[in-house]
Amino acid sequence: MSLDFTPLFDSWRFLLGGLGLTLGLSALTIVFSIVLGGALGLARCYGPAWLRWPLVFYIDSMRSIPVLVVLIWTYFALPVVTGVTLPPFWAATLALTAHISAYVAEIIRAGINSVRAGQERAAFALGMSRYRAIRDIILPQALVRMLPALGSILSITIKDTAIAAVIAVPEYMNRSQTVAGQSFHPIEVFIVAMIVYFAILFPVTRAVDMIYARYAYLGRS
Amino acid sequence: MSYDWSVVWRHADLLWEGTKVTIFLAVTTMIIAVPGGIVLALMRLSGIRILAAASATFVEFFRNLPLILVIYTAYYILPVATGLRFSPIATAIVALSLNVSAYNGETFRAGIASIRKGQSEAGYALGMSRTRVMFEIVLPQAVRRVLPVLASTWVSLFKDTSLVSVISVGDLAFESMRVRSQTFRVLEMLTAMAVIYWLLGYPQAKLVDWINKRYRVNE
Amino acid sequence: MIETQAKPGRGESGSVPTVSYHEIRKRFGTFEALAGVSMEIYHGEVVCLIGPSGSGKSTLLRCTNGLETMDSGDIKLDGKSMPKDWNGMRGVRQRMGMVFQNFELFPHKTALGNVMAGPIGVLGKPRKEAEQRAMDLLRKVGLVDKAYSYPAQLSGGQQQRVAIARALAMDPEIMLFDEPTSALDPETIGEVLNVMKQLALEGMTMVVVTHEMAFARRVGNWIVVMDRGAIVEQGRPEQIFDAPAKDRTRDFFSHLGWSG
Repeated sequence: MSLDFTPLFDSWRFLLGGLGLTLGLSALTIVFSIVLGGALGLARCYGPAWLRWPLVFYIDSMRSIPVLVVLIWTYFALPVVTGVTLPPFWAATLALTAHISAYVAEIIRAGINSVRAGQERAAFALGMSRYRAIRDIILPQALVRMLPALGSILSITIKDTAIAAVIAVPEYMNRSQTVAGQSFHPIEVFIVAMIVYFAILFPVTRAVDMIYARYAYLGRS
Repeated sequence: MSYDWSVVWRHADLLWEGTKVTIFLAVTTMIIAVPGGIVLALMRLSGIRILAAASATFVEFFRNLPLILVIYTAYYILPVATGLRFSPIATAIVALSLNVSAYNGETFRAGIASIRKGQSEAGYALGMSRTRVMFEIVLPQAVRRVLPVLASTWVSLFKDTSLVSVISVGDLAFESMRVRSQTFRVLEMLTAMAVIYWLLGYPQAKLVDWINKRYRVNE
Repeated sequence: MIETQAKPGRGESGSVPTVSYHEIRKRFGTFEALAGVSMEIYHGEVVCLIGPSGSGKSTLLRCTNGLETMDSGDIKLDGKSMPKDWNGMRGVRQRMGMVFQNFELFPHKTALGNVMAGPIGVLGKPRKEAEQRAMDLLRKVGLVDKAYSYPAQLSGGQQQRVAIARALAMDPEIMLFDEPTSALDPETIGEVLNVMKQLALEGMTMVVVTHEMAFARRVGNWIVVMDRGAIVEQGRPEQIFDAPAKDRTRDFFSHLGWSG
């Protein structure tokens, strides 16, 4: 099997643009997911009872449906219902955020619950208000415990952006497919794609491991 | 805009075929990937440098790649690398198995490592060999301990099977989208696809929650 | 002091010690756990290793059955040097029984299953024979009615007694106890010590790392006081407890609040 990487040399700018979109889509999705997921998670823990069921339903539903399905539905079916057609990039952002924020919400909930009972009692015994107890005592500890899970969400998000290729978002995966199709050297193109994604994802997982190892003692009981 | 939801019922048999393929893919992959994960974990913990390095490399490699990329790459590489003809579904199973084995490898490694050293020592103190200690004392406990994680992995796998639709494997996603292309009933078919996945996935997610509650480790 | 079957004069009749340690050294990183320990253990003796935490008592015990490897030195069993490799040590381990501070029962097996684990897995005994013997041993430690219970259903004292039965099932020549009662509630310590006393009366050679001074005084034949990886002094219980020769021994007892 002889490999010919030259088509890649010709298309590197094209592919680089795709990479930029991968990173951009990942970053946007993460930020929105943390905000939305954080809100959902806090609402789940501290919100009014009537809100609980719809939240649980939403979160569990997003955990049950594949990302691909959410992406495709958002891009193709949502316009039919709402009359609004989102460009692929924003459809992907919306779909990925909707999906990943559910996981973030679950992580927040698990993190808060793992700290809660004894610490809450101690805080109230000191005369703290509910708001302060949550802000100063519960959340900081919960945050440390959530770090590894949140880190893996970062990794999952970057991987999920590759699925957005299916709805014509011109990120790296999509562009690789284009180059592969045009150059008739798919193997070389995808080998490079694997190297590129690995080069992005490996440091992310390592960094998360290291950060957690550094700060884990803060969250230990 | 008029919707024609009957298109779903009219093509129910195709959707059912797709569902069967989805389930088949998930089950087959797990059957391969659970022993695969155990083997990888044992290699990693074996103390033989080459095996440990090979296992660690394999696990890190597949955990840091998007599954969709692995599927595409497998589609192009497998026939060339092995000289054999691979059906799309075989390609799918290879890609999925490699991917999930890597995750299970890490799962089992962490599970085995979480068993107290004293348990192995008690086995050694009785004169047991390292092999016996691993297979009779440590692994049985480790498997029990990682059951909740394996259950979560199963649920993820079930959803990830949808990705094989990109190489034209006739799973639920592929069949749903094919009917959509043929009938132009976009909203109906895509919603049906989402709903069916939801009907399949929701109980599984709830089951995983229940398993997590029940098997919470009290150490 | 109860009458165990140890000979009054240690090694006087020229008998070979069951276990002899010669200049055992062991480091963990920069920490010197054992700084050249030498001593003998004779057949039928109950030797109690006492001393502050970190003095090397447990390390010495664990070197005896190879769970720790020593950096230098030699341990002889019945006059023959013990093998230095892991697989060679397996044979030695089968002749010794060990009881751990945390019991370390196998949680996925019943009490009976635990006691049978050695004979079936290591000695290859047929199931019926192993089961009969296991039942006898459980009866001996007073837990035959708990044979089919799982460790999680047993109290600490019960688990430790099962652990003793599990070690005895291998018909060991010597029993090693690593702080057997340190993890127990005070109410259950007695039931375990009683089993150990019974074993001593039957003539089992025992090495016990313990903080239970009353037990050491009443059941022990030979007391070894360790501190910072070395033996401070060793002798008969009456001498060590009533008239310790070394200041460090006296210090140790005073810190325990022990006044005899």
